[in-house]
Amino acid sequence: MKKCTQCGSKDIIIERKHSGQRLCQKCFIKGINKKVLKDMRKNKLLNKGDKVMVALSGGKDSVMLLDILYTFYERNIIDLCAMTIDEGIADYRKDGVDIAKRHAERLGIEHKVVKFKDCFNFTLDDIMSIDSERGACTYCGVFRRWIINREARNMNATKIATGHNLNDETQAVLMNYLEGNIENLTRIGPKTEARNEKFTVKIKPLREIPEKEIALYVLSKELEVHLAECPYSSSSFRGEIKEFMNQLSNKHPTIMYSLLKGFDKMKPSIKKDFTNEFTKSKECVECGEPGSHGLCRACVFKKEIYNNIQK
Amino acid sequence: MFTLIIADKKLEKQIPNNDYKIINLLKELDMPVETVVTKKNNKIVIEETLIEDDDEIEIIQVIYGG
Ligand SMILES: [Zn+2]
Ligand SMILES: [Zn+2]
Repeated sequence: MKKCTQCGSKDIIIERKHSGQRLCQKCFIKGINKKVLKDMRKNKLLNKGDKVMVALSGGKDSVMLLDILYTFYERNIIDLCAMTIDEGIADYRKDGVDIAKRHAERLGIEHKVVKFKDCFNFTLDDIMSIDSERGACTYCGVFRRWIINREARNMNATKIATGHNLNDETQAVLMNYLEGNIENLTRIGPKTEARNEKFTVKIKPLREIPEKEIALYVLSKELEVHLAECPYSSSSFRGEIKEFMNQLSNKHPTIMYSLLKGFDKMKPSIKKDFTNEFTKSKECVECGEPGSHGLCRACVFKKEIYNNIQK
Repeated sequence: MFTLIIADKKLEKQIPNNDYKIINLLKELDMPVETVVTKKNNKIVIEETLIEDDDEIEIIQVIYGG
């Protein structure tokens, strides 16, 4: 009979093949909490007095993130608020938004739901119903980032916390590397730099936690989460990378850890050579949000979509 | 016989042999271990867990592939 390597309980819920560690529910939750707190300290993700805005989708990653950050809020180390984006995806998004609302209410924290429709006058469904060469995730990502930046200022947040996990980070590294987007690689990390006073620093406390362990955490703690698959996710390049990484991880269980570790070691050198100059004065001429060209990406996309809708 | 709960469906299934584990079931269903969390009689268990008579086995897909 296999037993928990920490406490000897026979009710184990995870076996980490690479380390031989087996854990019961209690020891798993305790261990993962400790790991996240250690990573947060290592990367100096929080300062006392920060107001952290959690980008709360209602999915497992952001719900776990909120659960952990709430312990800092409880101990009066930080102030906490949450923001949920409703991209407008019929028969899918409402469940997640409702779950996010219930978590914020349960914890008694400030929460805001922002809709694509109210910001841009179109939903993600509208975008996908018109012909476009870009995938749903590209539009969705750019518009979401635009809203998150703006709302962080509206909520007076000093940090934005996102639920990116180990799988997300390794996929991002691999994708950008394979596509030759070296400048994008310089921006992957536990904490962004505020390149412009209008940008709020973004932190990723869960970036060293594998996605499956996040699912185990929320299910173990019986936290309500939205687990359904986004109807637009399958068609992306990221989907292909995801499948490839999953297959590889099956055979080589430490591959994601080593990939991220190696990348983090290389990053200072890449950054030194490939950071493009991002001067403080550059702001989008249309919306005022920071951007590297005259128009920010969100405004470029918006124009494209308006043109296509009119056709 | 055991009960399989998957994607909101409940099915009665035969246990093919007395060394039948959740991991064997996942292979039959073509679901990678890395993408699911499994429960036996409403408790989270590892995939090496034996499936026994009258068990209720739940497979929760938590990660979606490409
Ligand atoms: Zn234990
Ligand atoms: Zn703009």
